[in-house]
Amino acid sequence: MGSSVAQKRLFHEYKNLSTNPPEGITAGPVSEDDMFYWEALIEGPGGTPFEGGVFAAELKFPQGLSSEPPDYEICWRRVYPNGTVCISILHPPGDDPNHYEHASERWSPIQSVEKILISVMSMLAEPNDESPANVEAAKMWRERRSEYEQKVRDEVRKGLGL
Amino acid sequence: MQEDEPSLNIPSLLTLAVVSFFVIRWFFTRDEGSSSGGSRPRRGNVVDPAQVEQISQMFPQLSNREIMWDLQRNGGSVAATTERILTGRGLETPPPSFQPQVVLPPRNTTALPRSTTPASKTDGQDLISRYNLSARAAEEAPEAETPSKSSWSQNKEERQRLLQKRRDEMILAARRKMMQKKQGASE
Repeated sequence: MGSSVAQKRLFHEYKNLSTNPPEGITAGPVSEDDMFYWEALIEGPGGTPFEGGVFAAELKFPQGLSSEPPDYEICWRRVYPNGTVCISILHPPGDDPNHYEHASERWSPIQSVEKILISVMSMLAEPNDESPANVEAAKMWRERRSEYEQKVRDEVRKGLGL
Repeated sequence: MQEDEPSLNIPSLLTLAVVSFFVIRWFFTRDEGSSSGGSRPRRGNVVDPAQVEQISQMFPQLSNREIMWDLQRNGGSVAATTERILTGRGLETPPPSFQPQVVLPPRNTTALPRSTTPASKTDGQDLISRYNLSARAAEEAPEAETPSKSSWSQNKEERQRLLQKRRDEMILAARRKMMQKKQGASE
């Protein structure tokens, strides 16, 4: 019952994302038999070392699609080895115990898939090193920026099989 | 003296059992109310499958057994287990005698492997091999083909095909662009 509402909503979002796709984003369920498991491709934002790259992400939506944010697997593990993206709207609702984020910035069922993917995209441009997904990468980003950017560029090319 | 009157002994034992049952039950319900991590009522040392799933989705590299062992030992606190993993201490290997009293919901294991993606858990695999595009990547760029920006169909299979097409085009276009850029830079 609850899950069929979620299913309908995800289907609706899938339709919107297909008929009117945002720039640089392709997303949809891996198979429509399971609307809770999606795959998304996100283009690296221009003007960043990620420019020209394409990044794959797996999205697993909670069956209830209510209080819990969806899970993301960014397959680009060399920079984010554990694949967990650190982004405020993907955190569970309620106030952040670290007080970096307001409750209003965090996950709520109103967030659309499109909005989430755009946020992931912008996160590539402006990583939040206050709560990094990958401590090593964040350290490199802070201390050795040019090395980080070179590594990103290499990975972008590798990701496209070049 | 009590040994002489077993008929008196049984009712008193029963009373003791009933009283201790309520005491234990009260103890656990009180515990649940105060713990913030637990989301669902738990009985004794049975691990809530939802909690196990929640953690294993965050940390797919961990085995369910390890997660259950840690959850059981810390009283079913997702927060404590997550904290432990994140601080790099890792989870202990459960002893062989540990038999988790929980059956995970089957959808967790059956829902994920699907036909269209060859490998859902890719470890640093590039997109060309992930989507089996090596043959098409080797081809010359089909200039005539304009990427279909918007695509929707009433037919389920057709939709699936259109999505796959858009995805492949996006990857191949990015690859072509990157190759052109490299050629431009080296000339």
